Parts: sequence; C-alpha cells; structure tokens
Amino acid sequence: MGSLFGMMSISASALSAERQRAEVTSANLANAETTHTDEGGPYVRKEVVFSESNASPFQTVFNRVGHLGQPSGAVQLSEVVDDTTPPVMRYEPGNPDANKDGYVAYPAINPVTEMVDLMGATRAYQLNASAVNAAKQMIQESIDILKSS
Amino acid sequence: MAAGDSMLNLLQGYLEVTTNRQQTIAANMANVDTPGYHTKDINFQAAMQAAMEKSGGSGEGPQLEPASLDVEGLPERPDGNNVNIDRESLLLSQTQLQYQVGVQLVKSEFHTLLTAIKEE
Repeated sequence: MGSLFGMMSISASALSAERQRAEVTSANLANAETTHTDEGGPYVRKEVVFSESNASPFQTVFNRVGHLGQPSGAVQLSEVVDDTTPPVMRYEPGNPDANKDGYVAYPAINPVTEMVDLMGATRAYQLNASAVNAAKQMIQESIDILKSS
Repeated sequence: MAAGDSMLNLLQGYLEVTTNRQQTIAANMANVDTPGYHTKDINFQAAMQAAMEKSGGSGEGPQLEPASLDVEGLPERPDGNNVNIDRESLLLSQTQLQYQVGVQLVKSEFHTLLTAIKEE
C-alpha cells in the first residue's frame, strides 16, 4: 500500500544518502594534500556505494501485503570503500614524510573529480527535496478536504 | 445515495492509484545514483481497473496490487542505471496535478451532499 508518507520516507532516504556522499567527497577534498595519517602513509581516497534497500521482489511484495517495514525503493549507502589507486610520489627531500630516496607519497586525489562528484550530489539532493515538497503539498491538499467550504 | 457513494469509492481508488504511482516515481528519483537500478512504473490502466473492481464490492480482503514494471526503452548509463531525471520530474508534476483533480472532485462531491442537506 503506497502512501504519501511512504513516499516522503523514500525521498528522505535519498536525501540522507546524498548528504553522506557529499560529506565523503568533502573529506576527500580536505585531505587532498594529507601525507600523514594515524594508520601510516598518505590519506586514502574514499568512495561511496549506493544500493536499493528491500531490492528483492519477494521482500517488496511481502512488505506491501503485510504493511511492514520501510517501503520498497528506498536507497541506502551500503558501504564506503577505499580507492585503490596508488599514491602519487613527489620529490620533496626536505619533507619529514619523505622516504629514503626523498619522495613523499601524496593521495591520488583530483580536485576536479571531487568537485564534479560534489555537484552531482547537490543536484540529486535538490531533486529529492522537490519530491518531498510534492508529497507535502499533496498531503496538505487532502487535509483541505476537511475544511468546510 | 448509491450513485454518490460509488463515485466517492471510485475517487478513493483513483487517489490510491495516483499515490502509488507518485511513490514509484519518488523511488526512481531516490535511486538516481544507484548502480544497476532500472526505472520502475506502474501500469496505470490495470491499477485503475483493479481499483474500480474493488469499489464495485466484488470482494474484500487483501488484494495484490499490480506489481511495478521495469520501463522499456530508456538508455542505460555505463553503471547499469537508466533513470532519466527529466522523465521523472515531468511525471512527478503530472501525477501531482492528477491527484489534485481527484481531491477537487471529492470536495465537490461533499459540497453537493452539503447543498442537499442544507435548507434554503
């Protein structure tokens, strides 16, 4: 049974996922020059993986018939993975993080890629915010049936 | 009041179908960045048919709604996702207006009833 509140929670799941994506991208941008971490070595670029929750058809129909759980179609951030691109080596003999040959390992982060990713997250956020607005207006309209004309 | 009653039941079915469709569209929008996700939609005609049969009083109890179908003919991106933002935005506005029509019709039904009740 679809409902307008179900629609709102689907859009809300997307808002939260896109916000987390923007957070991870900002962390990448902020640490583009970080050569020293607690784990040792340079900062490793992170990437998010989105997946559809309740994706199996059985689960979808089961939830619908039993009016259970989150409505199908919601999105979730399933994991944050490390980018496996090897670090970029720059010759800086004076740097305390330099190895014995004088090279410093910098994270393989391209600011342009991160900015594009950030823009994608922003646009998707706006799109889902407008879906929330649509649901809100529809709920408001059905409440207005109660108003005596 | 049989006529007005069935009209209200019909409108209820119509509002349920538009709400279901709106939820499907919201799910498509939510999964705009999910790899491998395919655009879904409900068969409006079949869903409306089922809602009309239900309002005819042919049976109560849990009914399976028409399952959402994958939409054919949309170009797939390299990550296997084929959500078209323009299509979804358009359908979002369209379905919202359709819902508004249903709500206005319900209002006018009640207004008619009220006119009959009120003494002039």
